[in-house]
Amino acid sequence: MSDRFSAHAIRSPDDVRRAVARLREAQIRYAQFSQSQVDAVFHAVALAADRARIPLAQEAVNETGMGVMEDKVIKNHFAAEYIHNAYKSTKTCGVIEEDPSAGIRRIAEPIGVIAAVIPTTNPTSTVIFKALLALKTRNAVLFCPHPRAKDCTAAAVRLLARAAEDAGAPEGLFACVDEPSPELTGTAMREADLILATGGPGMVRAAYQSGKPAIGVGAGNTPVILDDTADIRHAVSSILHSKTFDNGLICASEQAVIVPESRYDDVKEEFRKRGAYFPTADETDRLRRLMLINGALNADIVGQSAASIAAMAGIEVPPSVKVLIGEVTDVSPAEAFAHEKLSPLLAMYKARDFDEALDMAARLVEDGGIGHTAALYLDERVASDRSARFEARMKACRILINTPSSQGAVGDLYNFRLPPSLTLGCGSWGGNSVSENVGVKHLLNIKTVAARRDNMLWLRTPPTLYFKQGCLPTALCDLHDVYHATRAFVVTDRVLFDLGYADRITQPLEALGIVCTVYTDVEPDPTLASVRRGAEVMSRFAPDAIVAIGGGSAMDAAKGMWMLYEHPETAFADVAMRFMDIRKRAAALPPMGQKARFVAVPTSSGTGSEVTPFAVITDESDGTKYPLADYELMPHMAILDIDLMMEQPPSLTAASGIDALTHAIEAYASIMHSDFTDTLALGAIERIVAYLPRCYHNGANDPEAREKLAHASTMAGMAFANAFLGLCHSMAHKLGAFHHLPHGIANALLIEEVMRFNAAEAPTKMGSFSQYTHPQALERYAAIAKALNLDGDTDEERFEQLLALIAKLKEKVGIRACVRDYGIDRAAYDASLEEMTRQAFDDQCTGANPRYPLMDEIRELYGRIYEKEAT
Amino acid sequence: MTLDHVLAARARKTVYRDGDTAVKVFDAAYSKADILNEALNLARVEETGLAVPRVLEVKKIEDRWAIVTSFIEGRTLSELMKEHPDRKNDYLAMLVDVQLSVHHKVCPMLSKLKEKMERKIRAADLNASCRYELLTRLESMPRHNKLCHGDFHPSNILITRHGTPYILDWSHATQGNASADAARSYLLFCLDGDYDAAEIYLKRFCQKSDTARQYVEQWMPIVAASQSTKGKADERDFLLSWANIADYE
Repeated sequence: MSDRFSAHAIRSPDDVRRAVARLREAQIRYAQFSQSQVDAVFHAVALAADRARIPLAQEAVNETGMGVMEDKVIKNHFAAEYIHNAYKSTKTCGVIEEDPSAGIRRIAEPIGVIAAVIPTTNPTSTVIFKALLALKTRNAVLFCPHPRAKDCTAAAVRLLARAAEDAGAPEGLFACVDEPSPELTGTAMREADLILATGGPGMVRAAYQSGKPAIGVGAGNTPVILDDTADIRHAVSSILHSKTFDNGLICASEQAVIVPESRYDDVKEEFRKRGAYFPTADETDRLRRLMLINGALNADIVGQSAASIAAMAGIEVPPSVKVLIGEVTDVSPAEAFAHEKLSPLLAMYKARDFDEALDMAARLVEDGGIGHTAALYLDERVASDRSARFEARMKACRILINTPSSQGAVGDLYNFRLPPSLTLGCGSWGGNSVSENVGVKHLLNIKTVAARRDNMLWLRTPPTLYFKQGCLPTALCDLHDVYHATRAFVVTDRVLFDLGYADRITQPLEALGIVCTVYTDVEPDPTLASVRRGAEVMSRFAPDAIVAIGGGSAMDAAKGMWMLYEHPETAFADVAMRFMDIRKRAAALPPMGQKARFVAVPTSSGTGSEVTPFAVITDESDGTKYPLADYELMPHMAILDIDLMMEQPPSLTAASGIDALTHAIEAYASIMHSDFTDTLALGAIERIVAYLPRCYHNGANDPEAREKLAHASTMAGMAFANAFLGLCHSMAHKLGAFHHLPHGIANALLIEEVMRFNAAEAPTKMGSFSQYTHPQALERYAAIAKALNLDGDTDEERFEQLLALIAKLKEKVGIRACVRDYGIDRAAYDASLEEMTRQAFDDQCTGANPRYPLMDEIRELYGRIYEKEAT
Repeated sequence: MTLDHVLAARARKTVYRDGDTAVKVFDAAYSKADILNEALNLARVEETGLAVPRVLEVKKIEDRWAIVTSFIEGRTLSELMKEHPDRKNDYLAMLVDVQLSVHHKVCPMLSKLKEKMERKIRAADLNASCRYELLTRLESMPRHNKLCHGDFHPSNILITRHGTPYILDWSHATQGNASADAARSYLLFCLDGDYDAAEIYLKRFCQKSDTARQYVEQWMPIVAASQSTKGKADERDFLLSWANIADYE
């Protein structure tokens, strides 16, 4: 064992390269070890380190001449026992986490060869710490000691290497540089796979400059504030306990105590009583000159006792003195006592108040120990606000409360959720890649295996849907019986009001004792201004129920008013923000229905708004259409009573019927379709194909056709409220808006071309959705054809039959063949193409389309529908 | 050529005046490479446009190498400081201004300051631990490319009758970090025992160059270690005491 070490002495850069190659071979063998094999090695080496804690501490003190042997025993003990305890059950090999239903698996892999830089201050405990972390994670380590501690570091490495091999680990997982120099350390860093650098700022900077990933930590300059509420006896003894630990060699050790004026004398007295010495002004000056050489720490005082430092400065103190406290005022680096001292020297500042104490502490941290540690003593029960201010202000990655910082920062001694570690990250402030206490997770590569999983889908509908001819008065009873409403706000348009439709709502409600008011100022494409006006009237009336009766415009306007009534602060533009997934939107509505329930009573068959969470509101100032979409806008109740629909003129029946058909077709072909929406969509398509021509021709004389069409429209609404729509609607929205075509007509003009576009088996781009595995539009359209019993041997043939059927249906209900036939000027149409294209691409409906369209493709589609011969 | 007018006599070299030239004659044992390098350094610095003597000739006089340059008539700043102690602050201010004018130049073919420091630290009589600390610190210092004189102190600045400062002795010139050059100037004042001048100089340098004092101080142990290789026994203990620092951990 020791033979191999001496046979492979590492004294030159080439030795380092050869050593890394040998370590790599051993590590590759070790990487095959199972978790239980690794845990056995980890356990055995921790025990061996435990057993050697005293001789290793003695060697460290003898060689470096720094620190306190008994305290180094604690450090070795901590590194062995606490690290073993913290990670003994941690999974670090192979699959460490698995969730089959989510399709996620995490696999821990070793990193390879680690270059571990070992400081003079903790030369054996850091070896134990890094060796154990590496063994637990199946890595090999090249240790780079400091020249002042090379023998004790090497001794620790050999001892642990032997213990690992005795426990069955492959030979040669650890090596140690024999003649340390920055050149060899630098070579080790460049050759290794990862650097664990514990050392001064120069070493840490070298690590980060090496081009290899580095976990390095830096200098600390821990200030400690004693708040007015602190328990002085507790605080002073804690600080002395920490500051004297290993003669102040711990990087988290307190460097400056900041005490409020009001408690200063008491604190000073307590310090004196417990063994601190306060030098005179002249002695303080002598200490200043001793401790720094041109601003740099004098190596001779590092890790020495207070008495010997006093002697070096020519100050006579009793040998029992624990700490020398310089009473100083300047927190800038011009004051020697403001520096990190790595010895039992401490600065003490008097602060006017807590604010000044914060300023002082912040400056000390930023100049000398940014990112490291800061400490505060206070009464947690009464001064939590001060703690919060301290936490917010310190650029320190460890904030310790009522805790000796040397022992506290390394974790698990004074707080049991701070992980034990001898390598303390200082975050980006300290130029580190890690801001926490370094542990096994930093020495692993974690592979995440993510298997494809279907996105969750849903079916959301109004809680209540009442239907059947003549059901309206009965259905309205729920407002009284179930909702316990007392004030109803009825929204409709002027035409329907004049026809007496509002009375059909208000009369039964008033008979139930519900106070009603009717709002009739609704335009065909409801504007933001009218919605705001309506919301104002609504707010003054303060209803607990809203009943929208009419077509899509009345229902959409009422939804807008409802939203502003419930949440006056709502920004329309936010709620209208286009989303990729309605559940992940950046802007969402707060819960609705806290002020009023919403009841929708359609008088035409087309929009489906009574069962959808959508509404379109137009900003009249610039023509922007806000497509509101949020499941909070879902009505609480929809009432389908064809008595209210009988008066529709044939043209409205035709346009809204075709609108409903396109809803159903697009929902069926949507990338988000489901069994539930498919059934609704197909049911709607079958009914529209069968009953739309009858309804169009027979009107009020054919209540059966009217009812089927009404149901079809609502079924289509339920389908697209959940599966959404597609490109036909995106383009129809803009075609209608730019050229003043009724929405249903705009859809009718586009639907076949868009279906052809979607049906491509090799589209330029397909829609993105986890369960949308391949271009499916053609088979979806063919499935509609099958459901309609259309002939055809192939999907293509069935698709052509479906297109022919749609064309014929349109013709039967008086829909013209092309845009030109609706009297739209060619030049005006062409001039609008660019903007229509841009806006259609950006329309919310585009996202669910089975084919993701390019802008050029949309423009071409618009081009095709201008002129066409009737079939 | 008559070499009887001695301008300056140093341990291993003597400078003579010969008409309007100055002739620096080196000891026979002096490294030929160092002599040629000094001439080359001076020739390169000439190209920067700074006011320096011009190299005219490198030759052998009997067995000894000599560099012949133009002769500049004037008094050194150190002479002036001694003669006019009341104006010392003004001269120190001038020293800083001249040094900053040097630092504004680049001279890409000169050797690198950090590499030179590394060689010197390796050669210094330091213990392994201290050498490790200094090399690690040096490695982490920023790499700059400013022209650095390397021995910038008042006896190397010559003021002509018209008040134009000329900069002499470029044998230690490198390109690198200006703060290292300033740390060396500070150290040279301290070696002379003139701590007051050292303080005034450093304050002025930091203020005029907008440099933090701590930044210059980071170079001091490195510069002290490199200076300790010059072999002046009486200075060595002092220099090594400056180098005995610990980097924080």
